[in-house]
Amino acid sequence: MVDVKIENVYKYYGSIDGVAAVHDLNMDIKNGEFVAILGPSGCGKSSTMRMISGLEHISAGTISFGGNIVNNLAPKDRDIAMVFENYALYPHKTVFDNVANPLKLAKVSSPEITERVKRATQLLEIDHLLDRRPQELSGGQKQRVAIGRAIVRQPQVFLFDEPIAHLDAKLRARMRSELKRLQVDLGVTSLYVTHDQLEALSMADRVAVMHEGILQQYDTPQAIYEKPANAWVATFVGEPQMSLIECVIRQKGSGVVLDFEGHEIAVGAKVGKVLAASKEREVLAGFRPNHVAINTRKTAGSIPGIIYARQLLGGEILAEAQVNNTMIRARVNTDFSLQLGDKCSVSLSKEDLNVFSADTGVAIY
Amino acid sequence: MASREIIRYDNSPLLRLAKILTPIFLAVYLVWTLLPLFIMVMASMKDLLDAFDTPDAGDWGGVAMFFDFTPTLKHYYVLFAENNFGVYLFNSLVASLGSALVAVTLGSMAAYSLARMEFRGKKDLLFWIISTRMAPMVAVTVPLYAIFRSLDLVGTLPGLILAFTTFNLPFAIWILKGFFENVPYAIEEAAQVDGCTRFQAFLTIVPLVAPGVGAFLVLCILFAWNDFLFATIIGSGGAKTLPAATKELVQPQNIDWGKIMAAGVITTAPMIPLGLLVRKYLVAGLTMGAVRE
Ligand SMILES: Nc1ncnc2c1ncn2[C@@H]1O[C@H](COP(=O)(O)OP(=O)(O)O)[C@@H](O)[C@H]1O
Ligand SMILES: [Mg+2]
Repeated sequence: MVDVKIENVYKYYGSIDGVAAVHDLNMDIKNGEFVAILGPSGCGKSSTMRMISGLEHISAGTISFGGNIVNNLAPKDRDIAMVFENYALYPHKTVFDNVANPLKLAKVSSPEITERVKRATQLLEIDHLLDRRPQELSGGQKQRVAIGRAIVRQPQVFLFDEPIAHLDAKLRARMRSELKRLQVDLGVTSLYVTHDQLEALSMADRVAVMHEGILQQYDTPQAIYEKPANAWVATFVGEPQMSLIECVIRQKGSGVVLDFEGHEIAVGAKVGKVLAASKEREVLAGFRPNHVAINTRKTAGSIPGIIYARQLLGGEILAEAQVNNTMIRARVNTDFSLQLGDKCSVSLSKEDLNVFSADTGVAIY
Repeated sequence: MASREIIRYDNSPLLRLAKILTPIFLAVYLVWTLLPLFIMVMASMKDLLDAFDTPDAGDWGGVAMFFDFTPTLKHYYVLFAENNFGVYLFNSLVASLGSALVAVTLGSMAAYSLARMEFRGKKDLLFWIISTRMAPMVAVTVPLYAIFRSLDLVGTLPGLILAFTTFNLPFAIWILKGFFENVPYAIEEAAQVDGCTRFQAFLTIVPLVAPGVGAFLVLCILFAWNDFLFATIIGSGGAKTLPAATKELVQPQNIDWGKIMAAGVITTAPMIPLGLLVRKYLVAGLTMGAVRE
């Protein structure tokens, strides 16, 4: 159990003049911490993880475990355990031998192997499958075997590369809590790669959001959700998506307001102060769907629009209103009566909003 | 694994016709392939006079004449006692097994690296390897002979093994590369994370390709065993194999059919049990569907 430090790490595949799969990555993972790397497919999550595991060469920069640089250590000398996206079980070995493999390689005595495999498989509820081969297992069972192979020993670091991406939704929900529980119990420093924000936000102590090889934000799930570092993170994290509105900051009296295509959006005093101090004029104002109201009541400051779409999300409805060419989403009650094409008015929260520079996308508030 | 049952949904006349024609075709094919073997075995046990005792064309009743003879093993006896066939059998075995082992050993190493590594010019290298099999062998025989001559390899078993390897190795590299590519690299990565060295990780997947490699070893033995060209030119003299020796039984003044047939049986016989032995792996190995997780 160690802390992991990633300093100025780059990953190039093929020529160094090409695009970096990972670009100048800096991250530190505290001892015992559970960190998730979140990002869309192809953003360099697996590349990062594979450099930590030693399966991929580090093009530039250093990775260290507990202060020791591991750049030139083979995977077996890094004392890590990894769960692969496609499980990567040994097809010709039984479940028992799959799970026992790391212990056999570590030359653990045979009675102890039996004991530890038993303990790990009982924990994962696969102890009745020990004689089966991977072909005879369901996806969920295979995945448990892969996890069993990782937790059967106490490695320095756990690495999970989208371990539950191929399971069905219900099993995924259950595995999320089980994996989290397991990590807390074992207390092993863990890195968890996923493209599923629900997994990242619900399990991790801290989340690293990546986009096109670049780390966008590295913070607690709550901070990522409430204070996204830039417009990209703001729209990527959060389901349903945050609505971004192009506005201009305008002086009004002693404070400022946001001008959205001629409509005036009033902002709270705290936001106003920050906006007034900022040099930016054109900004993107972001509103989460639960901070937007869509209804028929015209009130002061509400914006007229047309209902563009409505989706039932179980206990509530996601309503989408079109204002000129901008879509604004809101969570509304299931008794929401407006239909597609109906006129409506959109009210935006004064306090709960995020503001980004229209130019760079960087958060202003 | 998915069930392999074939489901037929339509019952068209074409399908019904196919149902009738299939057994007929198979029967004809069986006769076509087995009859020569049968005649060979029969003729190898006949006296010279009996062997040429054939009915007139169209006289189907005369077929019984084929079976009207006293079986004798004297041709076999003569081949081993006077014509040194024991030595040739040994040469054939050593040369074909030797070249198959060399081809598969070197081939699997080359195939593994070609399957797992990316490097510039890989496609060209692969094409060059297989192109050595595309050229007609006759074209390379003369230069090869000259090279082997100057290295004193003509008429020796190591020379013959090397000659057979020239055609077995490229084929081995190509086929074995497919076997390795069928094994997901992630398995080797998992092994490395579990604590294997890079080489131990390679060893963990060896059981997965072993059936295919074993089957391919047998194919290489068969190719080398059946080879005639290199056997006569490179192996002539000190390393004569069965096909080359059989050819020498054809003398200008006297063709001894009985001995030739017996030699044919001796050449064919060892390969039949070998084929049966690996039949299961040959199919499973060459299609290689079984290693998928
Ligand atoms: N072995 C490889 N060779 C070349 N390019 C690769 C290789 N692996 C990944 N890449 C590229 O690097 C980028 C990041 O890939 P990856 O780390 O696998 O992303 P993620 O896991 O986030 O989906 C992608 O653009 C991908 O095409
Ligand atoms: Mg990936």
